[in-house]
Amino acid sequence: MVEHRHHTRVRLRPPRNSVDPRARRWWTVQSLVTVSGPLLLTALTLFVLSLLFFPGALPWLGPLLLVVLVLPALAYTLTMPGWRYRVHAWELGDTAVYAASGWFWQKRRIAPLSRVQTVDTGRGPIQQYFGLATVTVTTASTAGDVKIAGLSDADARLLAERITAAARTVPGDAA
Amino acid sequence: MTGRDTDGWRSLDARTLLVHCAWMAAPLGSLALTALATGGDLDLRGWITLGVIGVVFAVITTAGFVTWSRTRYRVTGDSLELRTGLFTRRLRSVPLHRVRNVDLTANPVQRVLGLTVLRAGTAGSAGGRSELSLDALSRPEAVRLRAELLARAGAVSAQDPVLATADPRRLRYAPLTFWVFGGVFAALGAVWRVFDGIGIKPWRIGFVRRSFEEFGHSALWLTVPLALLAVVVTGVIGSVLLYAENWGRYRLEWTDEATLGVRHGLLTTRSVSIERARLRGVALREPMLLRAGGGASVRAVAGGLGNREENRKRSAVLPPASRAEALRVCAGVLGEEVPTDGLLPHPRVALRRRVVRALTWCVLPPTVALAVLGWLLTPVLLYCAAGYALLATPVACHLARDAYRALGHAVRGRHLVVRSGTFGRETVTLRRDAVLAWTFSDTPFSRRSGVVTVTAGVAAGEDGYRIRDMSATEAAGFADTATPGIVTEFLDGSPLADHPRNASDEARI
Repeated sequence: MVEHRHHTRVRLRPPRNSVDPRARRWWTVQSLVTVSGPLLLTALTLFVLSLLFFPGALPWLGPLLLVVLVLPALAYTLTMPGWRYRVHAWELGDTAVYAASGWFWQKRRIAPLSRVQTVDTGRGPIQQYFGLATVTVTTASTAGDVKIAGLSDADARLLAERITAAARTVPGDAA
Repeated sequence: MTGRDTDGWRSLDARTLLVHCAWMAAPLGSLALTALATGGDLDLRGWITLGVIGVVFAVITTAGFVTWSRTRYRVTGDSLELRTGLFTRRLRSVPLHRVRNVDLTANPVQRVLGLTVLRAGTAGSAGGRSELSLDALSRPEAVRLRAELLARAGAVSAQDPVLATADPRRLRYAPLTFWVFGGVFAALGAVWRVFDGIGIKPWRIGFVRRSFEEFGHSALWLTVPLALLAVVVTGVIGSVLLYAENWGRYRLEWTDEATLGVRHGLLTTRSVSIERARLRGVALREPMLLRAGGGASVRAVAGGLGNREENRKRSAVLPPASRAEALRVCAGVLGEEVPTDGLLPHPRVALRRRVVRALTWCVLPPTVALAVLGWLLTPVLLYCAAGYALLATPVACHLARDAYRALGHAVRGRHLVVRSGTFGRETVTLRRDAVLAWTFSDTPFSRRSGVVTVTAGVAAGEDGYRIRDMSATEAAGFADTATPGIVTEFLDGSPLADHPRNASDEARI
């Protein structure tokens, strides 16, 4: 039985490269399309309906809509992209690929190049508009897939090529 | 019978055709009973039924015969090949070195006929999974073929073969599962849905209503405990029967040096082979009720057993049994004894986080809801709110403390041991060299508390095994100790770390 010796107080440093600044705008649009937009539309619809048919309900419905739908939607759209941009980062080391993602829940993942199975580059419609791409490095485990979102097209291509090349030179067992 | 033609192609067992006819048993049986009751005098409806059965029989048998006659398989030097199809011929080929497990299963009809379905699974990565199934072979042929396939899949060192066999004394752990209560309610729900489906409302049935009015209403203090007792008794009987069916004739053994074989099932035999090379560790599972009874069950952490759901079903290597036996099986599966006690505890702040979580999610919402309702409607509910808070708080705190005590991690030789959970406690022992990625996740709250949840990614079992609420100052060092090399170059203080850092990243940690 081997008792383990801890490295005393070593910390993981953040990855060196931040993502493309345009990613902030992409995330803003994405937040409007997926979360904030629907919330604001719902609020507007309810407000108009109430204005037309139940004006008496406005004194309590107005503030309720504001607190439950409008403010959260605005807060999300205003804070999430910037926060996310500060968090998202990536780095291709000599033996492993390292990426940080998320905003409130943050995730830093490190997968050795010797375990890389495939490298995918994906571009969604909004991403295409901003000239961005997402690089996904897959391993044999879903808990080992590293996703780097918000790279510029050129960076993504370069990174994908470098990872593929590095994965080929590092001896590995991808199984 | 297994026919052979040129080039080693073999056909499936012809008795498979009979399996397709099994469905006829019910209609033919009822028809025979009718005939018996009427003295062999079938009316028009009887003849029509017989005719329909005959036609369907002919169609199914023809289809079955065509499928059977056009299906061939063979084992070549390096692959298992299956040829199927009438108009579009398909040839599927699985390289033998990629075969990860070979399952033999048989449903009751197939068992009577002496048939077995052989499934050869390969290591399908991330979703796409290829499996080749031979439905069905004669039992000796299936056993022989499995041995042949597994022998070609590679071999490692030997060990004592049989790890555990069926033991009726284990039945006493059967009632200590969720199914004691869950099963009864699931069954009641099913019955209710059947009634609902055919438009019967159970409370409208005179018998039910009368008994409720006469008995239930007047003596509620008697009915409620009696009903509970009935549920428990039914649940206990049901769970014991289920356990017996599922785990009768159980046998766990190293069928050869490189293959762990699990066989169980009284009526439907289930047998799973796990290749040693794909075995990444074991999980000792102690759900709350089972733990209270001193029991535990064991699951293998292995790859190549199918998707997540199938993996859960097929990876069980020991049913609920005594804890000592579970530990023994763990050691047998791992090939060495890995102590799971004396793990490193997690920081005290993890306890506070658990208490806060238990109070905010389990105690606070019902108390507030009751209090608000009480304030609006009737003061009785206010007392209920106070009572709930008084009762639930100690329970929640106790559970939180239990959850905290469960937390632990350690590096033990070639393995990594992680424990967590209060309702479903799990102690996972993983091979260190199986860890293929590390993930560190946190939130603003956990960062303020100085803890981080670390996930070890493996290509087996649940894919990711979490070490919850580790001290943030120790997490990276622990990952580095457990798997030297993976995280090293990203640690502060490593020779690579003194480059200027991105300004945008400065704000973190």
